[in-house]
Amino acid sequence: MDAIYQLIHAYCPTMPDLLALVLAILLPIAIVMGVFLTVFALLTWVERKALGRIQNRRGPNRVGPVGLFQPIADGLKLLTKEDIVPDAADKVVHFLAPVLVVVPAFLVLAVVPVARGFVPVDLNIGVLFALAVSTASVLALFMAGWASHNKFSLLGAMRGVAQVVSYEVPMVLAAVVVLMAAGSLSSVTIVEAQRGLGGWFVCKPWGFVGFVIFQLCAMAEVARTPFDLPEAESEIVAGYHTEYSGFKFALFQMGEYVAAITMGGITVTMFLGGYLGPGSDLPKIGWLISACWFFAKFGIIVVINIWARGTWPRVRVDQLLGFAWKLLLPLSLVNIVAMAVWHFSPSKLVGWVASAVLLAVAIVALVRLNAGAAFEKRSYRFTS
Amino acid sequence: MTIVFLTMSAVTVLGAVLAVTLRNLVHCLLALVLFFLGIAGHFFLLRADFLGAAQILIYIGAVAVLILFAIMLTRNITGTEGGRGSLGGAWWLGVGIAAALAGLMCAASRRSGLAEKLPYGATEEGVVKEIGRLLVTDWVVPLEIMAVLLTAALIGAVVIALEEERKR
Repeated sequence: MDAIYQLIHAYCPTMPDLLALVLAILLPIAIVMGVFLTVFALLTWVERKALGRIQNRRGPNRVGPVGLFQPIADGLKLLTKEDIVPDAADKVVHFLAPVLVVVPAFLVLAVVPVARGFVPVDLNIGVLFALAVSTASVLALFMAGWASHNKFSLLGAMRGVAQVVSYEVPMVLAAVVVLMAAGSLSSVTIVEAQRGLGGWFVCKPWGFVGFVIFQLCAMAEVARTPFDLPEAESEIVAGYHTEYSGFKFALFQMGEYVAAITMGGITVTMFLGGYLGPGSDLPKIGWLISACWFFAKFGIIVVINIWARGTWPRVRVDQLLGFAWKLLLPLSLVNIVAMAVWHFSPSKLVGWVASAVLLAVAIVALVRLNAGAAFEKRSYRFTS
Repeated sequence: MTIVFLTMSAVTVLGAVLAVTLRNLVHCLLALVLFFLGIAGHFFLLRADFLGAAQILIYIGAVAVLILFAIMLTRNITGTEGGRGSLGGAWWLGVGIAAALAGLMCAASRRSGLAEKLPYGATEEGVVKEIGRLLVTDWVVPLEIMAVLLTAALIGAVVIALEEERKR
């Protein structure tokens, strides 16, 4: 914001101060909303194309070249559909839920540094803010499920609440190692702490484990397919948004996608070095190159998400919660200890080996402990 | 600044009043969330960003959800059964106690000289760092006692749940 304010001052010195300030506040918001809404529209297309590819079909290919205008057609269709509110629904809450589901998703974008020197708000508690706000979406989810007055909606909402609350814990703990390494909660400082060759936190043993935990939790938090129990079609119709149609339904889809996008942005910022990359420090065009780096890394995360969605089956509720509490939570605690070992070890090599060994032992032990009963040959009682 | 403060205060008070007067328990909870949001906004306004974010993370993300689970386990969520008047006959007693408590806290915080200390390490990085440092130095004993208490509560909950399982 300050950078844009100074830029405006440099190019139009005659502009009144207040106007320049308002512009400096509104411009990043407009850019971020515009860019990410375009990314959202494109992403629905990319996702459907990729899923089609995985499932050996073509995906959307009717509207525009290679189906590129499909999101526009979808949007128009959903806008013109009739908006149905169930008779028994709680009207006010039923209306508020789709509105509220989008707000936290967009709020998180405020602290994601997209390019060098471009972050809408450089809060000194950026990451904490992002984590806090993204969990607030669970209330919107519950409001939708409860207000619909439909048992499938309520079941989906309760599943969603249990899931988000469970995965929030390992997610925050996985983020702690990054905060320990960077010594700050500000998203820009975290990115700057990852400078240098192999400086990205994902290249360290604790960073890699943290990255995997965080990525899994992010997928669970936004309820994407291996973890999409709140809207499992084969079990509870469409879960919490069963009773929504038209643009309210579109808002739910948008909330979910934008939440996935922002979570991807946070993951890139915390573990993959954000906008850093060769050429991101060049004087004139550095900001553009850094933006390209950010979106390239972001694309990788998105592709991982789609890939997971296309190839993994949905987990069961008990598996889902057991995975969070019995595997991810202890592992993220061990990860914090590994980070401490790294921090206090006399040399880099010692720290690397010690933390890697510690984490490897912890992973093997936890997986052993969590392994279910071995498969046995089924025995039948009433056969002969 | 004043306008923002007044709007936020109005929202906070509205949320608090709605939370105790509405009949439907879920509506009450949503009003309570509005109140929590208002408080978080006040923290942000006072440049206590960390407290604001913690307020959202803990009260909206966790406490409200816990209350929600509790509500889901109760009967009469919509408030259509039973007598009317959620405040009961003795509402003036509640107002009196609330006013007395508020006055007491006001007097205590004035007396304690907190106001002079106030922008407490309020530099860009300072607040979070200062809170973190104080929690593991001056306030480490209360922190550890709280941690033990919470762990005990957690283990207690697990034990109670296990009992239920065994009875079945």
